[in-house]
Amino acid sequence: MLRRPARLGALLGEVGKYGRIARIALVERLAYRLDFILSTLLRFLPMLTTILLWLAVYAGAGQLSGGQLGGFSLKEMISYLLLVHISRMFSSMPGLAQGIARDIREGNLKKYLLQPISILPYLLSYRAAHKAAYITMTAVPYALLFFLCRDFFAGWPSAPVLAAYLLSLLLGFLIGFFLEAALGMLGFWFLEVSSFLYVMGTLTFFLSGHMFPFDLLPAVFAQVLKALPFQYLAYFPAAIFLDKVPQEALLSALMTEAVWALALALLASWLYRCGLRRYSAYGG
Amino acid sequence: MTATALANAAGPIIEVHGLTKIYRVYQKQEGLLGAVRGLFRRRYREVRAVDGVSFRIEPGEIVGFLGPNGAGKTTTLKMLSGLIYPTAGSARVLGFVPWERANAFRRQLALVMGQKNQLWWDLPAADSFALHRAIYSLPAEQFQRTLGELTELFGVGHLLRQPVRELSLGERMKMELIAALLHQPRLLLLDEPTIGLDVVAQVTIRRCLREYNRRRSVTILLTSHYMKDVEALCARVLVITQGQLVYDGPLAGITEQFSQAKLVKLQLAEEADPEPFRRYGEVVHADGPLIELRVARQRLAEVLAAILDQHRVLDLNVQDPPLEQVIARVFEEARPVHEVDSQLTTV
Amino acid sequence: MRTLLHYGRLWLAFARFGLMRELSFRGNFLVKVSVELLWLIILLIFYDMVFTHTSVVADWSREEYLFFVGCYYALGGVIETLFLINCGEFAELVRTGDLDFYLLLPANEQFLITSRDLDWATLPNIFLGAGVSMLALMQLGWDFDLGRLLLFLLLFACGVALAYSFLVLLTAASVWLVRNQSLYEVWWLFTTFMRYPREIFAGRWAYPIGWFFTFVVPVIVATNVPARVMVKVLEPELAAYTLLASAVLLVLSRKVFYLALQHYRSASS
Repeated sequence: MLRRPARLGALLGEVGKYGRIARIALVERLAYRLDFILSTLLRFLPMLTTILLWLAVYAGAGQLSGGQLGGFSLKEMISYLLLVHISRMFSSMPGLAQGIARDIREGNLKKYLLQPISILPYLLSYRAAHKAAYITMTAVPYALLFFLCRDFFAGWPSAPVLAAYLLSLLLGFLIGFFLEAALGMLGFWFLEVSSFLYVMGTLTFFLSGHMFPFDLLPAVFAQVLKALPFQYLAYFPAAIFLDKVPQEALLSALMTEAVWALALALLASWLYRCGLRRYSAYGG
Repeated sequence: MTATALANAAGPIIEVHGLTKIYRVYQKQEGLLGAVRGLFRRRYREVRAVDGVSFRIEPGEIVGFLGPNGAGKTTTLKMLSGLIYPTAGSARVLGFVPWERANAFRRQLALVMGQKNQLWWDLPAADSFALHRAIYSLPAEQFQRTLGELTELFGVGHLLRQPVRELSLGERMKMELIAALLHQPRLLLLDEPTIGLDVVAQVTIRRCLREYNRRRSVTILLTSHYMKDVEALCARVLVITQGQLVYDGPLAGITEQFSQAKLVKLQLAEEADPEPFRRYGEVVHADGPLIELRVARQRLAEVLAAILDQHRVLDLNVQDPPLEQVIARVFEEARPVHEVDSQLTTV
Repeated sequence: MRTLLHYGRLWLAFARFGLMRELSFRGNFLVKVSVELLWLIILLIFYDMVFTHTSVVADWSREEYLFFVGCYYALGGVIETLFLINCGEFAELVRTGDLDFYLLLPANEQFLITSRDLDWATLPNIFLGAGVSMLALMQLGWDFDLGRLLLFLLLFACGVALAYSFLVLLTAASVWLVRNQSLYEVWWLFTTFMRYPREIFAGRWAYPIGWFFTFVVPVIVATNVPARVMVKVLEPELAAYTLLASAVLLVLSRKVFYLALQHYRSASS
């Protein structure tokens, strides 16, 4: 009974430590302002061309209004494409895997081994801070964009759906993080991971539903893609928002997502431990 | 005329006047608020990395650049190789202006930086050399001959086919040096070449450099903060601190010019209290019968007389303080020298 | 002429050693090649999926669009094989200061920095893209027309020149931007403009944007003009413009690149 307050104190200390790390990361982020502004701007561009492409597709299909492709009307398709950007805002982890692989390759892991911090929580709080900064910074331009495109949206979803949506975004952040972290850990076994990661990135573009909603594919393929964790990076939250997930299935779908998040977290830390053993065998 | 004299007749291989490099360093402001402020207004200060340095180097010399970290040695070296634009001043290296980076200039030059790798990491050194040959367009026969000579000199023939990443630090450095010398440059610039190496590797590399200089009269300019490098290789030393040249001349001259003290090592007949010795000078070390004093040069004679008079001395030794100490003190009290009293010693 | 031969031989030496190094990581090499193939499959899946729902996209029929996809893929392959990894390394070279070693070599800096290594893993893309395009031509029942083919190849080369110039401009930017988000990412975003036919930029808002990226920042032109020349009508003004733009951009990007090097050399210590 006496132990608990001491442990709580230690836990708070840990949280405080990672909080401080998060704040330092925020400062770092602001320092690279130009790079930041540029990358924000560049994120809007592919959205534009994709929307234009789909306008052309729907026009060509001769069903400009009310027509459905894979259960998505033109308006729903556009709103889907806009929403996946929000999902990706939460789940994309640029440079995470590369950074880990580079640290491994250059032997920088010592800083994690010698200091009383663990690599995954450290990187997680770092990323969380970056994300918070990024989302804050891009909130206004995105809000503006969505306001301009409000005609494409059928209005706000109901409160429980909205809550589910927000939860799916947060879980999507965790899934994105641990997925990338696990990939980065491959650096323990492969010397040259960066080009592999690059192509993984383009694969994710398809597998996450960022490219187009799975429902446009033949049913068999759609099922397979909905069984993979990649869908949580883009498709799943957007589908929730657009009421494509029936209300009764919402809870179980979210639980599946949570299970995936946990599984990937375990995978990443397991890979890290295995890799470390191998790494220290080389005398790093 | 001897070969050396002929080479000298062509003029100095490096001529530097008032070379200056000033950097703007942006001040990062502390904390979150400071970072936000930093978005709108940036504060900076100027750093004079190299400040009005002038010197001449004749062909065939081995000259050492001595100075503490951040003194401007590496920056000077990089300006001489054309990598950095100076802020002011002029330089002529091998008859060229270095920062114009003419191909003909780069063909005669080599720069090797300690702890930096220019060889391909995953391939055997031999492949990097072959690539070098293609880059410098070296004729096959000449290349083979030079390669053979260098691998024999450095003693690494058996390591040529091993991937560079599997070599030890010392072996890698030797390979870097070979790569630098393959195109037979007239000038070799070395930046901290022995840093991080074990003692054996350091000794070997110094020996090889000395030998190569003897054979080919390649001019060598090396920076180091290891005294041993400089002592082993350099007849002439340039001391730089805080961007300014404070000494240019033979190594031995440093002690004479900068050291105002001598070290007196005493072995007394019995254990003595170091206290009374304090009036002679600084007690550097006191261990039973052994006492080490730092005595001002002018007082040396009287101090010795006094000690011998008042104590029973078994053994007495008068030395110059070790060069490191002298240099360290020089670095501490940076005194710019405008009239460079250069005694150019040709090798 | 002699320098051209010298650089040709030098490039072959780099290519040879690059291949040796790639093959020393056999597993990684195979992974890279197979994933490149996967990307083509994804593109074709998307293309196929779209054309199950419609028969024409922005004025391009199914077969014409297929040709366009092959063109895009081949162009991407050329850039990725010859230039992308080199440019991607540049930011790191600047950061660590290892760029110095390249600046010391008696060879043209732009060549060394942008073109030294050949990415063998993406080399198949060029052939795959060409294959897809040839398939499309067969489906169109195309009659062999040497003039057209030559014109296509010329404009394709211009497309490569344009893409290369933009890549160089982006690479040069790494010197000024303190930490460039991986060049690969930025390049990927850039190529989105090359990925679709120009006609999708229709409508009140889109048209000016399309116009901007065709005539002011001529990205769209890189894939569109060669593809149009082959499967649609020849538009002489557009073709002439493409030629002019490639020349101008090659010169401009070179100037900016050397400006970047100058800045690096003034700022490094």
